Amino acid sequence: MKNKFGNVLDWLKSKSVEYADCRYVRAEKESIRVTDGIVDTLSRDVDVGVGIRVLYNGAWGFASMASIKESDIKKTANKALQTARASASAKKDNVKLAGQEAFKDYYKSPCEKDPFLVPVDEKIGLLLEISDRLKSNELIKTAEASMDFFKTNKIFCSTEGAEIEQDIIESGSGYSAIAFDGNEVQKRSYPNSHRGDYATRGYEFIEEMHLLDYVDKTREEAIELLTAEVCPDTEADIIICGSQMALQVHESCGHPSELDRVLGTEISLAGGSFMQIEGLNDLIYGSPIVNIYADATIPGALGSFGYDDEGVKAQRAPIIQDGIHVGYLTSRETAPVIGQKSNGTMRADGWNRLPLIRMTNINLEPGEWELDDLIADTGSGIFFDMNKVWSIDDRRLNFQFGVECAREIKDGKLGRMFKNPLYTGMTPKFWNSCDAICNKNHWHVWGVPNCGKGEPMQTARVAHGAAPARFRKVKVGVSK
Amino acid sequence: MIGKDKLFSTFEKVAKSSRADETEIVFIGNTSGLTRFANSTIHQNVNETNAKILFRVVFGKKIGVAATNSMAINDLRATLKNAIEIAKYQKDNKYFIGLPEPADYAEVDTYFENTANYTPKERARMVKKVFIRGNKRKFTCAGSFSSGDGEIAVFNTKGVRCYQPVTSASINIIAMSDTSSGFAICLSRNIDNIEPPALADIAVEKAFRSKKPKPLPPGDYEVILEPSAIAEIFEWVNYIGLGSKSFLDKTSFLSENIGRKVMSDSISFYDDGTDPEGIALPFDFEGVPRQKVYFVEKGVGKGVVFDRTAGNRHGVGSTGHAVTADEQGEGAIPLNIFIDTGDKTREEMISSVKKGILVTRFHYINGFIDTPKAVLTGMTRDGTFLIEDGQIKHGIKNLRFTDSILRAFSTVKGISRDRRPIPSWWDAVGCLVCPTVHLGSFKFTGTTDF
Repeated sequence: MKNKFGNVLDWLKSKSVEYADCRYVRAEKESIRVTDGIVDTLSRDVDVGVGIRVLYNGAWGFASMASIKESDIKKTANKALQTARASASAKKDNVKLAGQEAFKDYYKSPCEKDPFLVPVDEKIGLLLEISDRLKSNELIKTAEASMDFFKTNKIFCSTEGAEIEQDIIESGSGYSAIAFDGNEVQKRSYPNSHRGDYATRGYEFIEEMHLLDYVDKTREEAIELLTAEVCPDTEADIIICGSQMALQVHESCGHPSELDRVLGTEISLAGGSFMQIEGLNDLIYGSPIVNIYADATIPGALGSFGYDDEGVKAQRAPIIQDGIHVGYLTSRETAPVIGQKSNGTMRADGWNRLPLIRMTNINLEPGEWELDDLIADTGSGIFFDMNKVWSIDDRRLNFQFGVECAREIKDGKLGRMFKNPLYTGMTPKFWNSCDAICNKNHWHVWGVPNCGKGEPMQTARVAHGAAPARFRKVKVGVSK
Repeated sequence: MIGKDKLFSTFEKVAKSSRADETEIVFIGNTSGLTRFANSTIHQNVNETNAKILFRVVFGKKIGVAATNSMAINDLRATLKNAIEIAKYQKDNKYFIGLPEPADYAEVDTYFENTANYTPKERARMVKKVFIRGNKRKFTCAGSFSSGDGEIAVFNTKGVRCYQPVTSASINIIAMSDTSSGFAICLSRNIDNIEPPALADIAVEKAFRSKKPKPLPPGDYEVILEPSAIAEIFEWVNYIGLGSKSFLDKTSFLSENIGRKVMSDSISFYDDGTDPEGIALPFDFEGVPRQKVYFVEKGVGKGVVFDRTAGNRHGVGSTGHAVTADEQGEGAIPLNIFIDTGDKTREEMISSVKKGILVTRFHYINGFIDTPKAVLTGMTRDGTFLIEDGQIKHGIKNLRFTDSILRAFSTVKGISRDRRPIPSWWDAVGCLVCPTVHLGSFKFTGTTDF
């Protein structure tokens, strides 16, 4: 493949392109889902092709084809070149790329047990046992348990001489129980909602989740929610669990710190950002204990890799430091706008998609607190557990999130359960009300397998390290 | 385009080697291009030629599914083998009733040469015209313009041979100033029906009229919801309530409301995969002809859509709404949702409002708050206006709504007599066809800074 790419890149150079890169991707996916004791999804998908990006006369063209024949790769390169010419006819400024070392390297994600080699009946057996135990109470209307595995081989070559190959395995699993009593419907999930937790690891990640240990609790909490009181509309001190903090970081810090979004190129679909360049190193994003950083080098985290899809090495970069906005997620095209080099966040959802700035692992640094101490210290408030609802405006300011379950904090202890809990706020005000974050004992990198962005729509697998955190005087519910 | 004859002769050849009781092969292929623009310049311009070929093999009630994107015979045979291997590990699905027999499906014209042959250069030429319209009034433009063709084929060893060549094109445009934005959108299988400069004028006018928006406190207001806003609401209504899975899980607002009044008498909505006013596709991904299915008729809950397996579980037949075999755990979903029109014009509805809000579109709606009550939340964007004494007064800062759609759509005061197809995430094989709707009550629960 590298030889084929070399020939095509030489041909593109002969056409006076300023820059070009070729990406080969072979993506294999296995999905298994058991619903109420029936295996309703058991599928394998193999997807292979090549995408070529060309910068010509200061403008981009991209073409892709589900073929690895050299003649087809050349045709695709020509289409990318013709498309760049069309783009140049409607350009304003020339695209300029930040300088970049041309790496020749190989990267492999950590994997002790290849999930594609684990017998299918072993995986189905575990999911069936979970489903059966979730369904052991007649109030559980639906029990779902699923696993997803991805195996990706990527080769990246550029006219600058980069030659990078990567093999990445990703694994994930989760389950949920929907309870129904003829009137009320409620759901609980484990270890997280939206199909569970994910990592760039092998089947050992699934085994370490100890999925069976939490089935009974999940089922019973779904049933308990049926008779729980509706979460009150109030202003309260709240503690947000780690997985919901991951979602909070994702929506209110990860997305608005994408520099392409800040520069307006995502405005028509996903929107813009309140974290404007004028506020860099100045905007008080949160309280002084809030530190958020991007880190694509965490071994096994879902947003980790060796190199991004522009050939930039994975790295760690601060976004919020002591509450101040200090950085963005950048690409080779956008970084020069703020006088920097790319921090390596350009990723594409397959060979047939253009790389975009995507979150890697965007993490909230842990604080000092044990969770029990934090609950005790709070005295009176509400604890929010596991995401159910997410909505935020197109500059990432006004948000409204809901969780599967809340508990009253009374006299420094967790008390009665509340159903349908929502909290809402404005991003900087909310993060400035953060006065406590739990310590590393409660910190976990949560894999988010379904982050959407771009046209045509792309789905990225990203992650967020987070621990439970406390926020003061937050609006809970929507009526007051 | 590969063509019907070559596709089916290839599939015949491959299926002959199948040891399964029944074998299904579904082909979804496309060649498409999309030009993305922002700050009145093209920043992304992409092309794709791809296909997905899905094999579903059946041994009794055991099913195996595997997919590839290669039409090479060896890859197809390897994928078939993979599906057979997977089926060995399967458990019986007691609700599965086998693959369907052949059935006649409606003939619909879904392929237009002009759309198929549209080039990146032509898209760039049109996009430049959009920029010119914006520049004239000092607005920058952002958006995307896509065009392409494709083929959808369903083959099975019981004789099903469904084939549909398709084209589609769509454009969305946002015109922007420092303090405002405006939006316009169009979708059609025929690119000749899309007029980017005229759409740019609509977006620019909205951005112009909403400059320097004023804040308005949250509260319960009359609203005029334009087609894009209606489509965004009903996209979520579909997701949480119109498919077989949510219905059978009891999370749908229709699960316990069939035959009951759920909305105003004037509200009817249905799925119709054969109506060329939408993005028609007359058969589903099992090869079953799509039926017209009412979800709500004259305000009363009527039903949801089913595939063969979910239909059997519920004791009814398929309505022709199966998704592809790798996604069938999610159940059947409607793809071409139509909301019935009324007898008003948009202007008549606006003129009847004493004090209310005109909404162009919504952003980031989420409907998981309380699905049996269809409670949704979301933000307005790209043109939100105060109406007073029957006139659009000025732009207002964006608002968050949180409301039960069943409650809000029980206060309908008027529906426009025209409607438009609005693209959704499934726009290659469907869309939402929506009118403008006037509601007497809609609850806004929050505000933002712009």
